[in-house]
Amino acid sequence: MTAVVDDAPLTPLGATPSSDATSARTRARFWAGMAAPGTIWLIALYVVPAYAILAVAFGDIDPILRTAAPAWNPMAWDTSPMTNVLGRVFGGNLGHVFVRTGLYAFAALTGCCLIGYPVAYYVARVAHRSRGALLALLVLPFWISYLMRMLAWVNLLQTDGYVNRVLGWLQIGSGSRNWLDGDWPTVVIGLIYGYIPFFILPLYAALERLDARLIEASRDLGASALSTFLRITLPLSIPGLMAASVIIVLPMCGDYYTNTYLTGGSPRTEMVGNQIEFFLRGSSQPQTGASLVIVLMAFLMVAMAYYLVTIARSQREDARI
Amino acid sequence: MGTTRRRFIEQTAGLGALLGAGIPLLGACGSDEGSSSADPIRDGLSPEVGPLRVFNYADYVNPDTVASFELKYGVKVEITTFDSDAEAITKLANGSVDVDVFNSAAPNTLDRLIAGGLLQPLNKSYLANFANVLPSFTDPWYDKGSKFTVPYTVFSSGIGYRADRIDPALVEEMGWDILWDPTYKGVTSILDDYREGISLALLRAGVTDVNTTDVDLIKQAGDDLKQLTNSMNIKVNIEAYKDIPEGSTDLAQTWSGDLLAGAYSYLPEGTDPSVLGWWYPSDGVGVVGNDCMVVTASAKNPVLGHLYINHLLDTANAEENFSWNGYLPPIKGLDADYLIAQEYTPENLRGAVLTDEQMAKGLRYEPLPVDTDRLWEDTWSAFTAG
Repeated sequence: MTAVVDDAPLTPLGATPSSDATSARTRARFWAGMAAPGTIWLIALYVVPAYAILAVAFGDIDPILRTAAPAWNPMAWDTSPMTNVLGRVFGGNLGHVFVRTGLYAFAALTGCCLIGYPVAYYVARVAHRSRGALLALLVLPFWISYLMRMLAWVNLLQTDGYVNRVLGWLQIGSGSRNWLDGDWPTVVIGLIYGYIPFFILPLYAALERLDARLIEASRDLGASALSTFLRITLPLSIPGLMAASVIIVLPMCGDYYTNTYLTGGSPRTEMVGNQIEFFLRGSSQPQTGASLVIVLMAFLMVAMAYYLVTIARSQREDARI
Repeated sequence: MGTTRRRFIEQTAGLGALLGAGIPLLGACGSDEGSSSADPIRDGLSPEVGPLRVFNYADYVNPDTVASFELKYGVKVEITTFDSDAEAITKLANGSVDVDVFNSAAPNTLDRLIAGGLLQPLNKSYLANFANVLPSFTDPWYDKGSKFTVPYTVFSSGIGYRADRIDPALVEEMGWDILWDPTYKGVTSILDDYREGISLALLRAGVTDVNTTDVDLIKQAGDDLKQLTNSMNIKVNIEAYKDIPEGSTDLAQTWSGDLLAGAYSYLPEGTDPSVLGWWYPSDGVGVVGNDCMVVTASAKNPVLGHLYINHLLDTANAEENFSWNGYLPPIKGLDADYLIAQEYTPENLRGAVLTDEQMAKGLRYEPLPVDTDRLWEDTWSAFTAG
């Protein structure tokens, strides 16, 4: 198998051009075959659903049942529901929901950076003998469903819950704060808690791959530990930081159950995901729900484009070095 | 009932991450399944071997009552749940669920279910216990002659509250206005249901047409609801069944059945049910509703489906079911006096058990025209957006 996939010359000295071509075709078929499951997976679970979103957003509703009547043919698309949604998002009564969602995601991302970066750095660069155990601890939350973890927070944050008890014991605040009263910090805390494992693991992988010789060289040349971190480690970890950020921000923006659980359904903390959920599952306007999905995707694609440009730039700089 | 208790737990199987949002959408894409069965099944057929597949809200039927049906007919019953009327119709229409009995169809959706060919007429020869149904439900407005439906439960929408924290006389005096009283800021909730929420604001404003198509009235209702966001820090959910008994909410628009269920299921141990209170307009001008049992047009076990419905119409089984879910079946003999005597209902919640007079006088949700329905939904969306 390795002989087939290796990049080294495969043909013996004196092989004919036709055998070179056959070998190339074999390699091409092999890699196409290897990519097939992933390609099928992407088509089935991303491309088709994405097109279904478009077909519903620009489709109609069944006149009797008021369910989605998707327009699979783009020539038959009706843009009026999307126009209506855009009107509500830009200057209407849904714009602030997008802004609120973005602010929550940004605040949670900031929290993840502040908490997650030191953890990832410690596991990747400092911990040696305990690295395996720490990684296991980082993976531990994945064993419990997100839903159950949020429910646990509901208990912790109740007025007579452990959070207030600890704060009271430490004599911080009144010790009787109602955390579940529809305030944004609770939602942000929930988002940070829910998504931080997804942030730390890719960042750990990036930090763990850093070339230790560059750090040693920096120290040998007289840079302080702080300077070495700021001028070597941090810049080199930016691609990992970006990847981790993208991984958590995308689902955060579509999240609707964190705020639902942690604020008892307060309109003050409504996120875009809640509106999508209402229109897709609880209304006779599935086109509106699908249109909101598309608008949200468009916003996120801007962030994704920035990530891709940053990665490409980083790779070019690596190549120059 | 527009949505069900513990709905949020069920919801987590839904959209999740943004890119996954297309997957449930695939299920939303309609198909032509569900062709109408114009005639009911013939008389005298033997029950199928099952399993019987039932479509219902979560926690809306007593497992013991289902188990006794399984034992009686030697079949398995598989219950598939949904969260809202809209979701139920979508799943039935596109064939993403394959069920025999729809256990809780809302009357205001029946016109669509019937016109869409999703239901089959019932054969009353299998429904001997239909004789137990209250006369007011044997020829209901939504299904003349009970051709397609039999009633499952009845309920009203009112105010549940903590009688140990709020004076019942004050609730009686203020009525719906108390939900707008800043005194109770942070401890008040309303139902997460666009029909219920907007109707609440309409009723508070003295409008008794809970099916209004008047644009100005709907907009005014939306504006009134928006006041609740900051002045009351209102919560919009369907958790009052546990939040009031547990004490985290003092005041809530809720369904009578939820309060009755919560009285015994969620009160902390040792707490007397007298801490709970219920208010419904004393003039009887409030919203009442009911859910219906129907057999789907595509049922593979239609005989068994009829027998299941008949099982739930049995007086003893209906009583057992009420004792668990708190929702009153419209069955003869199951009135407030009887249910209190049997200690299913505390005396102080007598008013939460609907009377014939309340059912006759109550306001009912009817199907809305498409454009009006959208206006109601958009108004609700604007309110919940904060």
